[in-house]
Amino acid sequence: MEWLSETSVLRTLGDVEMEIAALLIPVLTAAVRAGTPVLYATLGEIFAERSGVLNLGVEGMMLVGALMAFVVTHMTGIPWLGVLAALLAGGLVSLIHGLLSITLRANQVVSGLALTIFGTGLSGFLGKRYIGVPAESFRPFPLPVLNDLPVLGPVLFRQDILVYLTYLLIPLASWVLYRTRWGLYIRAVGEHPEAADAMGVNVEGVRYACVTLGGMLAGLGGAYLSTAYTAMWIENMTAGRGWIAVALVIFATWDPLRAMGGAYLFGGVNALQLHVQAMGSALPTYLLLMTPYLFTIVVLILATRETARKRLGAPAALSIPYTRSG
Amino acid sequence: MWKVWIVLRPALSLLLAFTVGAAFLAIAGLNPIKAYVVMLEGPFGSWWGVTETVVKATPLILTSLAVLLPAKMQLWNIGAEGQLHLGAIGATWVALFFPFRQEPQWVIPLMITAGFVAGALWAGIPGVLRAYLNVNEVITTLMLNYVAVLWVDYLIYGPWKDPVSLGFPLTPLFPGSARFPTIPGTRIHLGLLLGLVGVFLVSLILGRTRWGFEIRVIGDNPSAARYAGMNLAKNILLTMVVAGGLAGLAGVGEVAAIQGRLQRGISPGYGYTAILVAWLARLNPWATVLVSFLLGGLLLGGDSLQIAMGVPVSVVYLLQGLIFFFVLGGDALMRSNGVAK
Amino acid sequence: MKEWKYAIVLLLAGMLLVPGALFAQGAKLKVGFVYVGPIGDDGWTFSHDQGRKYLERTLPYVETTFAESVAEADVERVMEEMIRRGVKVIFATSFGYMDAVLKVAARHPDVIFEHATGFKRAKNVGTYMGKLEEPFYLAGLVAGRMSKKGDIGFVAPVPIPEVIRIVNAFTLGVRETNPKAKVRVVWVNKWFDPAHEREAAQSLLNVGVDLLAHYQDSAATVQLAAQNNVYVVGANFDQSRFGPKVHLTAAVWNWGPLYVEIVRRVRAGTWKSEDILWGMKEGIVALAPLGPMVPTDVRKLVERRKQEIISGKRLVFTGPIKDQSGKVRIPAGKAMRIEELMGMDWFVEGVVGQIPKK
Repeated sequence: MEWLSETSVLRTLGDVEMEIAALLIPVLTAAVRAGTPVLYATLGEIFAERSGVLNLGVEGMMLVGALMAFVVTHMTGIPWLGVLAALLAGGLVSLIHGLLSITLRANQVVSGLALTIFGTGLSGFLGKRYIGVPAESFRPFPLPVLNDLPVLGPVLFRQDILVYLTYLLIPLASWVLYRTRWGLYIRAVGEHPEAADAMGVNVEGVRYACVTLGGMLAGLGGAYLSTAYTAMWIENMTAGRGWIAVALVIFATWDPLRAMGGAYLFGGVNALQLHVQAMGSALPTYLLLMTPYLFTIVVLILATRETARKRLGAPAALSIPYTRSG
Repeated sequence: MWKVWIVLRPALSLLLAFTVGAAFLAIAGLNPIKAYVVMLEGPFGSWWGVTETVVKATPLILTSLAVLLPAKMQLWNIGAEGQLHLGAIGATWVALFFPFRQEPQWVIPLMITAGFVAGALWAGIPGVLRAYLNVNEVITTLMLNYVAVLWVDYLIYGPWKDPVSLGFPLTPLFPGSARFPTIPGTRIHLGLLLGLVGVFLVSLILGRTRWGFEIRVIGDNPSAARYAGMNLAKNILLTMVVAGGLAGLAGVGEVAAIQGRLQRGISPGYGYTAILVAWLARLNPWATVLVSFLLGGLLLGGDSLQIAMGVPVSVVYLLQGLIFFFVLGGDALMRSNGVAK
Repeated sequence: MKEWKYAIVLLLAGMLLVPGALFAQGAKLKVGFVYVGPIGDDGWTFSHDQGRKYLERTLPYVETTFAESVAEADVERVMEEMIRRGVKVIFATSFGYMDAVLKVAARHPDVIFEHATGFKRAKNVGTYMGKLEEPFYLAGLVAGRMSKKGDIGFVAPVPIPEVIRIVNAFTLGVRETNPKAKVRVVWVNKWFDPAHEREAAQSLLNVGVDLLAHYQDSAATVQLAAQNNVYVVGANFDQSRFGPKVHLTAAVWNWGPLYVEIVRRVRAGTWKSEDILWGMKEGIVALAPLGPMVPTDVRKLVERRKQEIISGKRLVFTGPIKDQSGKVRIPAGKAMRIEELMGMDWFVEGVVGQIPKK
């Protein structure tokens, strides 16, 4: 009942600091949750860009995924089928970008932006009947044994199953990208398509595969929003997360593991900002609201030094269509 | 024969776009022919419609220049939206606090200057970070967009709030001397002139000056540029600053002509649409004028479609997306067949 | 001579068509709605669109049109175009449209404008708003009783007077049934972003609240409450389907009757520019049915207060009302004036959180 005994509504900064420490675990938990939808989309875009295709249609693909996941979950009552639908729908719409930018060698910036506009429209149009309708959703599912670990348990292992999927997917993606023949092909196609072609790699095939994978994962990120984070469909419910994903790809220097860090960081600063407000802090509201963006810039500046040292950069052939010469 | 194709291919791709769009419209229970008539007639079918399309094109011209100039040297300015907001802040600051009563003729030039400088400084942040610390400008410019909008929020909810607005987030209305002149009977304002001057200067810079030459060389081959003794950092910073200033001017126009005060919603994503404009114009400054006008018309036509036929905005977006796909696809087909060049 | 025949046929056809078109226009009164968000926001815009549909159903002589997702930058043109397409009554449903409404209205004295939430009127411009604070106050009575810890969270969109008034009314209700209780406010700074709203509600749960309320467009807060088995107060619509076991009640919009009344007045020629501020009495706002978990004595209290509000015996903002610092803002027995209410920029005692200030 200590809460009730407080008469003053404004607290001093000292109290706030102590409470932040007490709130470390909830904030980190929120960071993982909030980071997950963006992480899926970021991972997908990493594959697309690693193969040399810039796809600015992430926001649109996420929206289509979110809608289809919700519709199928609503109809069948099985969220997994919703996820499947999102993968399918995200992959399908990404093929438009594939056709335009790979086969027709159109400008990737325009094609991607058009895909975002198209996806926003398509999802809004098809989703009219599903507004304000409840549906099943993925629930938190504490992993046995692991969830009892101190700190890590509640933060990482009391989430829902789509979060756990990223724990497997991210290392898998890293392994594929750096340790397998497929990964080598992808990177070769993105860095030096002529050489890859000479090696006998099907440049267009690899790019199509990566763009489609990117669309599927963006769709999955959208599905997370409509079937796990919340269980609803609302027009534009991604609220700009697709763009954050595009930025995080660069932040992560096209590396899946770093993408995980970046997504959690962004989610975490956002969650921290909300918690500081909830505690009744006297910090200026707008400064708090700006922190996720300012913090991202600061971390990027710090990270850039290291990136430069390791010579991590954009795929050399990014956004350049490949034409076989001769 | 190939001349015929040049005309025919885009026409054909537009036709395809409209055919597929018609299918969607028909699914939505609408008469496609009527819908297309409305979409064209809204922005282009009357003198009023044309002037409104020009009004819509004005901020697009300026912001697309802000995307175009850095793009010439392979810099991605995603931040025109934020720079526009800063320009609006700069202009508002002058309009609200400059002691202009004695000399009102200085207010508008000062607003323009302040808007340019504010946008330039805002773009200068990612500029410096990129030039001297090699920090990727895509993220910094994008993040600063969110910060800029929040800054506007802070000002209109806080220190600049109109005391007679009953607590609503608005600055006071600008005095008459701080309003852009317009062409009588229309809303076409001084911003259009700024845009056209901007286009002229940018094309002059790119085509006729040493600086423009350096921008192009750096864009084509940065290491060659360095060998030739060009100062990369200085060029990056200068380009970003000028780009930001141009986007800032768009913001000046929006508060000084369209709104008459600073408030939320001054830009329905002009800075992002500008990316589309710049690339559709193939980074050609003069082409941005035409593309802005056509794209403005497309956006207006979307509103007409809503008003005249009760079409949901989502169908409008869908249609616009399709049009871009087909125009782009048709255009790409044409180039790949080698008939255009 | 063939051309002549064609010309005559055309002329005849024209003579037939033109009066037909005039007649068709004269028969129906065209009413336009301008929305700031998408109708699919499931909140503010959706509620107005429900009102539009109700209007069209109720008055057979009305034909409506709308434009959604209209930014402040575009609204002047959108209204102009509506008028050019024969619209005679325009409902502009966002505060930011104020200046544009007045500008367009000055150019078209024959068109009637109604601006929601605004305060500037003209000869052909009226303003209207509903007192959602009334049902929110009643919901507060319920919340104050149902919260065991007396620590309640409120997920709030943006710090404008309307929202501040709602948070305050809710808090007054809460403290009437639990004088020691407090209401923590978290600003989302957006009207809709379901995932972020959920996170805001979660942060409130994390600092210890045991009851949630919100005024966002989406039902994300209600869903989170259901997942955590925490009582919740909904907004905009009856949101019990998102959490039947925890949904105490909701403060509900019902714009339809107001739109019908205004258009009727326009049709009858009795419309005049005024500030319409309707409440529970007129049915523009309502309290959703109380959930089965609400005990009888609370139901009785809510019912009593509801009748007092409807009969005009009780105003939500009647003194003594203190602000957050404990200073008496409204002395005992005094009611707040309309202008003070419309521009409310301070929180009442019991609210934890701050309004962005200079």
